[in-house]
Amino acid sequence: MLSSLIFLLSLIFVTCTQADSDYHERLLLRPLPQSALLASFNFRSNESSASFEHRNFRYFPRSLGQTLQHAHTKELHLRFSLGRWDAESWGARPWDGTREGGTGVELWAWVDASSDEEAFARWLTLTNALSGLFCASLNFIDSTKTIRPVISFRPEGHHTNSSLLNLHLLHGTLPHEVVCTENLTPFLKLLPCKGKAGISSLLDGHKLFDASWQTMSIDVRPVCGDGSECVLEMEQTVDMVLDIERSKRPRDNPIPRPVPTEELSCDTSKPYNSEDSCYPLDKDAEPSWSLAEVFGRPLKGACPLTDASGYESETVCINVPTEREVQVNTSGTYAEERHEDGLLRCYKLPTGVDFDLILPEQVPTANLALEEPPLYAARSINGHGQERGSVQAVITNPSTTSAIQFVYLESLPWFMKPYLHTLRASISTSPSSNPIEETYYRPAVDRHRGTHLELLLSIPPASTITLTYDFEKAILRYTEYPPDANRGFDVAPAVIRLLPSNSSPNTKNVYLRTTSLLLPLPTPDFSMPYNVIILTSTVMALGFGHIFNLLVRRFVGVDEVENWNTGGLKGMLKSRIERLRARFLGKGKKDE
Amino acid sequence: MAVDKQKALLFGAAAAVRLLLFTAFPSLPNLLTGRVEISTPVTSFKRLQEGVFLYTHNVSPYDGGVFHQAPLLLPLFSLLPNPASHPFATNLLYTIVDLLGANALMQIAETGQSVSSRLFTSSRKDLRWSTIAVGASFLFNPFTVATCIARPTSALTNFFLLTSIAKAAQGASVTCILALSFASYLSLHPILLFPPLLLLCYDVRVTKSKRSLNPLAFSLSHIFGLVIALALLLYLSTLLTGSWEFLAATYGVRLLLPDLTPNVGLWWYFFIEMFDSFREFFLGVFWLHMASYVGGLSFRLRRQPLFVVSSLLGIFAIFQPYPSIADSALYLALVPLYRHIFPLMRYSFLAASTLFYTSFLGPAFYYLWIYAGSGNANFFYAITLVWSLGLSVIVGDSLYAALRDEWEVERPEMHGKEIRRI
Repeated sequence: MLSSLIFLLSLIFVTCTQADSDYHERLLLRPLPQSALLASFNFRSNESSASFEHRNFRYFPRSLGQTLQHAHTKELHLRFSLGRWDAESWGARPWDGTREGGTGVELWAWVDASSDEEAFARWLTLTNALSGLFCASLNFIDSTKTIRPVISFRPEGHHTNSSLLNLHLLHGTLPHEVVCTENLTPFLKLLPCKGKAGISSLLDGHKLFDASWQTMSIDVRPVCGDGSECVLEMEQTVDMVLDIERSKRPRDNPIPRPVPTEELSCDTSKPYNSEDSCYPLDKDAEPSWSLAEVFGRPLKGACPLTDASGYESETVCINVPTEREVQVNTSGTYAEERHEDGLLRCYKLPTGVDFDLILPEQVPTANLALEEPPLYAARSINGHGQERGSVQAVITNPSTTSAIQFVYLESLPWFMKPYLHTLRASISTSPSSNPIEETYYRPAVDRHRGTHLELLLSIPPASTITLTYDFEKAILRYTEYPPDANRGFDVAPAVIRLLPSNSSPNTKNVYLRTTSLLLPLPTPDFSMPYNVIILTSTVMALGFGHIFNLLVRRFVGVDEVENWNTGGLKGMLKSRIERLRARFLGKGKKDE
Repeated sequence: MAVDKQKALLFGAAAAVRLLLFTAFPSLPNLLTGRVEISTPVTSFKRLQEGVFLYTHNVSPYDGGVFHQAPLLLPLFSLLPNPASHPFATNLLYTIVDLLGANALMQIAETGQSVSSRLFTSSRKDLRWSTIAVGASFLFNPFTVATCIARPTSALTNFFLLTSIAKAAQGASVTCILALSFASYLSLHPILLFPPLLLLCYDVRVTKSKRSLNPLAFSLSHIFGLVIALALLLYLSTLLTGSWEFLAATYGVRLLLPDLTPNVGLWWYFFIEMFDSFREFFLGVFWLHMASYVGGLSFRLRRQPLFVVSSLLGIFAIFQPYPSIADSALYLALVPLYRHIFPLMRYSFLAASTLFYTSFLGPAFYYLWIYAGSGNANFFYAITLVWSLGLSVIVGDSLYAALRDEWEVERPEMHGKEIRRI
């Protein structure tokens, strides 16, 4: 009786704890125009706040959890990015840009501290610990690369009002950081299935970092449901846009080779078409591809930690028109579900056996409608020469009906000195009005702090804002240049946050980022430190010596000192010659 | 009256030239403001505009690394209309500053202190240029005109220095101390001119009052006055900016050289190529070197304090942390006062040619380095070395001539004879 009661209680206890910590993963595939493929991997692990505080880690990785506890970080967002999102061809950004970062590494976190200095010290602890965890040079995020944005970021998690008072938002960025396999490996190690089963088995450094655009992101935030207790949720996302033709090249033979002449499809209407000249026809058919071809390795079945049934168990989804043929190649049992009027096909994977999706070549009858991005932004450096320049940001609102209010954040390095009195913003449709509503500006201090500029702008429908400001380039010390000094320095991308409009205040925030900038600085001659020191010292010594001689010595007439001091080599030789002459000529005289 | 008419004509012509250049070539002021030979990080007009913008928008200009100029300039320039849209007021201000400086220079020439002071009268004192000629050589010197058009705040420092020297040569102590404190407040190094100016003022006062003044009481009262004036200026600046942080941003920048923008001086390239462990040592050495000339020159040339002042201005133009052609324009303004010793100078042609040569090659090599990318920094650096050598030849040669002139008063038979220094 007692043993059965204990058994029942333990069963209830296990099911309760089972419900607290759960794990979800999903791969969303979406073919994009011009034979590109968007693959969006999303992994979510939950841990109840109680077990987190008691250091019971189940699906939440212990290494990251302990780092967050040690640095008193309540919410963390870390991004590794490469490439450029082509908004004109690919439409709106995945996740509305909330899981995207600027080129290189971008990190922002809400740190719990009682003062600014304490928050910065904890921030340094966090960056150094994350640097070791992810094999990235995050330890270079120091005071020159850290800013405290005011209106650009809002906490995604749920924090109590009292804890919000002590939370400090710090944002650091390393645009020069190169993201590669050594950052992917620790990322995969944080997953419960560790890249060995489930959709994470598709992630391979060779294909991921060959993509036209890729972002790896880690978001840790507290989520409090209504009434139930709070849960710490960790979300890992890998988004990439692959070029299908390039990704299908085998790993061992990645050199692009020309298609054999027989397989070329030529435009026969051209006058010069013959066997040795060919105008290639645009393939109007969608290319054939399969998961194993494009990712270079097979999908090794489902990760057993996902839910066994329901929407969450469908871990691979593909967003294609209903006419597109998709074949499944697996030896285990799988289940297919169609959602969103047939446009989204989701599959529940079998465990333990490989799973592959094959899409053969097919001429599309209808293309998938891509969501239009709410805003287009591009930023560049104008001007020539290495003394000064100007930054120009062009932001376009394609919507014909709604005006947009957005925040434009720039974090510039200290050696790029902007002149805020030259900041001009003009709207194409109404040249006389000023779109800047609010400005937050913290100037840079040499070698200590970078520039922090946040602007609140509003753009009317169907118009373009051009934002320009002048800046001056500083010349750095000899040791402050990197080894490839003539390449220049990277400037972090601008972050644009679209504020929810007044008509729909509960919509999520939309983010977009421009590309980073390359800033060439004037360089000294690196081969010359000793020469410069001695040349300058020579000039100073010439001046000083001349004046010193004049001040210290006194004047005498030339004839007054004939016999007194004919010193030096000349005098010695003269006196020697005189003596010799006296000896020989004198003797001669005596003889005579 | 003829002198007044000539003076009015001279001032009118100088003002006309400046205002013509300002209005006929509207892009010329901004072009010259961007030139490194004229604008330095501590005097640039564009940075002053940035500082005024931040000041009028309630951001502390000294919390950043762009603005390094004195706080009291901020309310002055915020009163003027925005130079980008209504530049005439600023142009007029700088023209007037130039004319007032020329007026002070002509007052110095009129006192005749350059040829005969209390303890010394040159044997060649009749060989002088008229005050009009001296004023014209300052007002129409291309360096002075370029400085006026580019509108750096070193033009204001020049004005205060010339006023201070003029008042010292006239014996007006209070105005001299006030002007010197303004000049030192704006740029740190004019404080080093205090000892020779004190000597000059003392000499003139004793000559004028025809009775002896107690030198110790005189020096103490003047030191006290200078300290009070500087303290008042610094206190007003603190009230204006709300804290003492402007000290690190203004005088700290001149002492510690965080901004290494190229200029015509010797410091920037030296401290770019310097390794970090020696940086403080060499900063100390350079400042000590510049300050060491004051004592030596004042002691040796006690009898010609005005000459000490002008030589020191030449030395500052070479060895200052952020020199520009404004400083050399100031020195070259005082050189014509010593027309009587020009026959004794041995290298005047060499020095003049060197200055001419570097004035043209400097901008060319800077363009090659920064814009064309076909030259490197060494080209421009070499030109700064030659410029400094040229100026130091003038300083040294005029010092030789002045010392020889002084010696020939005791030994008149040595006129025209060869001499040696032992």
